[in-house]
Amino acid sequence: MKLRNSGLVKALLGVPILLALGACATDAPLDSLNPKGPEADAIQNLVVPVFAIAAVVFVLVEFGVLFLAIKFRRRKDDDSLPVQHHGNFKLEIGWTILPALVLAGVGAASVFTLFDLADTPADAQEVTVIGQQWWWEYRYDVDGDGEDDIITANDLVIPVGQPIALTIQSRDVIHSFWIPALNGKRDAVPGRAQPLTIEADEPGVYRGQCSEFCGLSHSYMRMRVVALAAADYKTWQDNQLTGADVPQEALAKKGLEQFRISCSGCHLASGPGGDADIYKGTAQVSGAAPNLTHFASRGVFAGSIFDLWLDTNVNGEVDTEEIGKIFNVADVKKWLRNPPAEKPMYPQGGRGMPNLQLTESQIDALVAYLRTLE
Amino acid sequence: MAIIERSSDILALPPGAGVARAPMGVFSRPRAKTGWRSWVSTVDHKKIGIMYGASSLFFFVIGGIEALAIRAQLAAPGQKLLSAALYNQVFTMHGVTMIFLVVMPMGAAFMNYLMPLQIGARDVAFPRLNALSFWTFIFGGIFLNTSWFLGGGADGGWFAYAPNTGVIFSPSHGMDFYAIGLQITGIASLVGGVNLVVTVLNMRAPGMTMMKLPVFTWMSLVTQVLLIFAVPVISVALFLLTFDRLFGANFFNVQQGADPLLWEHLFWIFGHPEVYILILPAFGIVSEIIPVFSRKPIFGYPFMVFSGIAIGFMGWGVWAHHMFASGLGPISVAAFSVSTMFIAVPTGVKILNWMATLWGGKISFTTPLLFSIGLVAMFTIGGLSGVTHAVAPADTQQTDTYYIVAHFHYVIFGGALFGFLGGFYFWWPKVFGYFLDDKLGKVHFWLTLVGFNLTFGPMHILGLQGMNRRIQTYRDGYGFNFWNFVSTIGAFIIALSVLIFFVNIARSKRGAHLQSAPGPDPWDGRSLEWSVPSPTPEHNFDDDPVVVHFDDWWHRKYQADETGRVVKVHEPEEIAMIGDGSRAHLPAPSYWPIVMATAFPLIGYGLIFNLAISFVGGLVLLGSMVGWALEPSDDEDQLPHGHDGNGHDDGDDDHAAPAAEREEVTVGD
Repeated sequence: MKLRNSGLVKALLGVPILLALGACATDAPLDSLNPKGPEADAIQNLVVPVFAIAAVVFVLVEFGVLFLAIKFRRRKDDDSLPVQHHGNFKLEIGWTILPALVLAGVGAASVFTLFDLADTPADAQEVTVIGQQWWWEYRYDVDGDGEDDIITANDLVIPVGQPIALTIQSRDVIHSFWIPALNGKRDAVPGRAQPLTIEADEPGVYRGQCSEFCGLSHSYMRMRVVALAAADYKTWQDNQLTGADVPQEALAKKGLEQFRISCSGCHLASGPGGDADIYKGTAQVSGAAPNLTHFASRGVFAGSIFDLWLDTNVNGEVDTEEIGKIFNVADVKKWLRNPPAEKPMYPQGGRGMPNLQLTESQIDALVAYLRTLE
Repeated sequence: MAIIERSSDILALPPGAGVARAPMGVFSRPRAKTGWRSWVSTVDHKKIGIMYGASSLFFFVIGGIEALAIRAQLAAPGQKLLSAALYNQVFTMHGVTMIFLVVMPMGAAFMNYLMPLQIGARDVAFPRLNALSFWTFIFGGIFLNTSWFLGGGADGGWFAYAPNTGVIFSPSHGMDFYAIGLQITGIASLVGGVNLVVTVLNMRAPGMTMMKLPVFTWMSLVTQVLLIFAVPVISVALFLLTFDRLFGANFFNVQQGADPLLWEHLFWIFGHPEVYILILPAFGIVSEIIPVFSRKPIFGYPFMVFSGIAIGFMGWGVWAHHMFASGLGPISVAAFSVSTMFIAVPTGVKILNWMATLWGGKISFTTPLLFSIGLVAMFTIGGLSGVTHAVAPADTQQTDTYYIVAHFHYVIFGGALFGFLGGFYFWWPKVFGYFLDDKLGKVHFWLTLVGFNLTFGPMHILGLQGMNRRIQTYRDGYGFNFWNFVSTIGAFIIALSVLIFFVNIARSKRGAHLQSAPGPDPWDGRSLEWSVPSPTPEHNFDDDPVVVHFDDWWHRKYQADETGRVVKVHEPEEIAMIGDGSRAHLPAPSYWPIVMATAFPLIGYGLIFNLAISFVGGLVLLGSMVGWALEPSDDEDQLPHGHDGNGHDDGDDDHAAPAAEREEVTVGD
């Protein structure tokens, strides 16, 4: 029986009346019962039989109670006493031991899976994942010299069919990294480095959401894993290893100047076209803000709450040549106008991006510059 | 019987002479039997129980309004009814309120009122401490809720994970109120816990051995033992948090080398036993109700008792299952995963024994029974989903999603609250002398059942679809819209059912004079509380009952005839006590408990706003200690003539009659 997407398993544990309706779930990108990689598969293979056992017990107990209540209801005018059973030792020992045996089986299976998942494959590629209020940073040490060569945010780009050994950390409060299609979640605890292995079977975008409560914008702290075929991944990686492009047109050049005035207090765009020489560090409690060197190479921005690339232009028209290639000028501008209005933050306390009081012409220039950071 | 009484000759103050009548010259001894003075000065476990119940219902309304606000916000994607800042406060305070100010005191209400009656005692071991415990709880609850008007409620979740609760990440005073408020209610729980444990162990009527205690009393005992050991753990954690926030300590400051998992461990070492503290009293209630309305004794009494004790013990070894995603490492996770599975065994035994009690019975479908069956059916669902996240790898997909929200609402609402609601209908005639309307009660039950399942059933689906907990809003296109809307409808149906419950109380009270009086034993009950008039007289029992059997009261009504058939030999009215308390000796009321309890919130406000207020609070605390100490527990002017020292009080009861002598007196009736 293929239980993955039926919704049936879920509903069995819910209310019987809702059982049929449970299958309504169609488009659920965070579905935890829709594995797309070996780690998530291992969990699924454990969960399905456990749910099946639970469903059997559920049916037995619920219908048992219903049956008892109907069968042994007191009839009108029946004032006689029923037989006064005080208990049955053998029976009770039986229904103590039987569930214990079933649970021992479930426990054993669960412990085996647990240790399997804790093993990191030897050929795994390492990526450091760092959570902070309210976005995720990913650091890749490509040449293995101990220094991170790629620093990016929001989109975790990985090659397909390759186990990725994540090391999960936090710079402020506890967050939790969770891509349901690829594996269970692992908390990002400040002061600790926690391992988690993920692997994607197919190229694609796998969504996730921070799942440990982390303050104001907990619900806006989203992330994606973008799994690319080996060749595409190589292209991506080569591009990331270069510095920021040097802006050519006048507006973008103006944008770089503005970036140095308004943004480089927190954000770094390194390389020849960037601001590394004047980067002032950060005023954030976490000590970090997204590295924007390859801002325009990402699919999302602002903690993954906005798409950076759209299928439709400003007039809502779709050009088949341009699907997913239209820079989302409207949302980038909206964000630059007043970030705390788009996402709850506390910039007065160094947590999140403040309203920089930019003029429209400054915003236009910045957008033109950001667009060049591919 | 009472160890305390026997040793009391040594401990007792000499009566009368040399003791101030109005200690410190502040108060004259309270004498009122009616009116508000009788309530604020009472040390009667029944009045205290009623006040616990009333305040838990009051906070239930507040917590319910918070729940409705949450559900309204989540009814559709992208809503802005509550800002993120406010939403965080509302869900935090919903959890804190429902756990600490609703379910715990509701349990305390039943335990306070019933436990002394079920063991055949006249009051708890320390009646004035009992009053202190209640007043401390209610002032703590009010203190917590005043945060709404003093800069905002706590916003770090009821679980308050560090370092998100530090001043940097939670700059309002909300978390200060949380830390100090829960400290105060913790004092109330500890005082109550010690009191009730001593009461069960020492004040049982002659013949009431431990293995004859009603299951409810047993579960109360386990609950109180859990409280005594669990509360200090969170007290320590809360002190650390308070010191971090108010005095700049570094217990959870990662920059200074702190490990935030310290808080998680401390919180859940308290937090998991707390779950059993919430549910065991309700298990006890259901274990009283099902036998009465099945007209059979509880099936497998020893199994029920020992499974309760087993839950109480095993409850200490499962806390880290709240932390499977925290990165404990596979060995710890495996250990806690397996221990968590096995705690399902004693719980399962209870479910099956309740079913076996129904088996072969003659079941009357009264409102209390409906709620009890509701508990069995709904708690099972919560128990099963619990087993699915004892499977640690599965839990990493489930934890912090709505699947967990569904799980613990099936346990705490479908379990604890269903039990308490059944208990209200069951013992209402005993407490107030009139029935709650059964027809409205059934409407209440069915609406609750439907609303409950509509609200929390869909959360299983939402959680497995990946909807996270504690999110202020969700996006369109994640498949969350439909079930969230259903859930919100369900929440408003629950609200309607609660409204009907209150209408039922009001209407039944107004129509009480039209009802036929319930008499001592309206349901053909089994335990001792049904052997006294309804409402229970102030002194409980005219004489100490002497217990021969488990379910002693039932055995006095029913006995085997010559053929061995069990038949009714006495109507309850023939053998019930008549409520003549002339020989009873009761502890005198006192103002000191409520005075002392006011000191705690004063100290709390002072710590947050201005230490001068704390100083005043400290003076009140010291003054009330002195006043309390100098006030004899007996009001010398009110002692009945020729009192026989039959009462149970603070331990300074004079001239306790030797146990044997008193047994002679009581055996005779």
